Amino acid sequence: MKINTQKFGEIEFPDDLVINFNEGPFGFEELKKFVLIKPDDSAFYWLNSVEKPEIAFALFGLRIIDENYPQIDNHEAFGIVTLNSDPLKVTINMRAPIFINQDNKTAYQTIFDKDNYSLYYNLFTE
Amino acid sequence: MLILTRKIEEEIRIGSDITIKILSISDNQIKIGIDAPSNVQIFRGEVYEKVVQNTINASHSISDSKIDLSKYKIKKVQ
Repeated sequence: MKINTQKFGEIEFPDDLVINFNEGPFGFEELKKFVLIKPDDSAFYWLNSVEKPEIAFALFGLRIIDENYPQIDNHEAFGIVTLNSDPLKVTINMRAPIFINQDNKTAYQTIFDKDNYSLYYNLFTE
Repeated sequence: MLILTRKIEEEIRIGSDITIKILSISDNQIKIGIDAPSNVQIFRGEVYEKVVQNTINASHSISDSKIDLSKYKIKKVQ
């Protein structure tokens, strides 16, 4: 499969790398197919839409930030990162994680009801 | 919007597998119970809206190639 992304230009990958959402990330529910990219020169994973290749989300592993972050069998928890040219203003959404199962290439986003996880957690410190 | 009047203990059925029940009413709060299949996600409306805004903001955020992280480290949850 070949897609023309905004971030990486044209990329080609095997069809079986496509990650399927029943409903895409909140606000983007109509987007159900993504590819997860980990560039060598980036601190982040990139979840790039297959159907709308100009849409991509920077992701970061939530267990790296919080070793007690809730786990779901066979899934890895990622937070959507809101980037900023000032690293101290880069935030990650810990409240509404994306759980990705790399074995069967499925994923979903959920929201924790209790507000003990921030929607805009500052990811970096000096 | 469909508007229905219900009393305490009365229910609303949505489709074949979602039931909403009015449990109690106080001054300006209503407690409702919801039965739905486990694949149906249920959220407070205002929380869902905030998450959507966060996701939209993130999709518009700049490329990470413009960020110099060399002097920074991950802020771990204590």
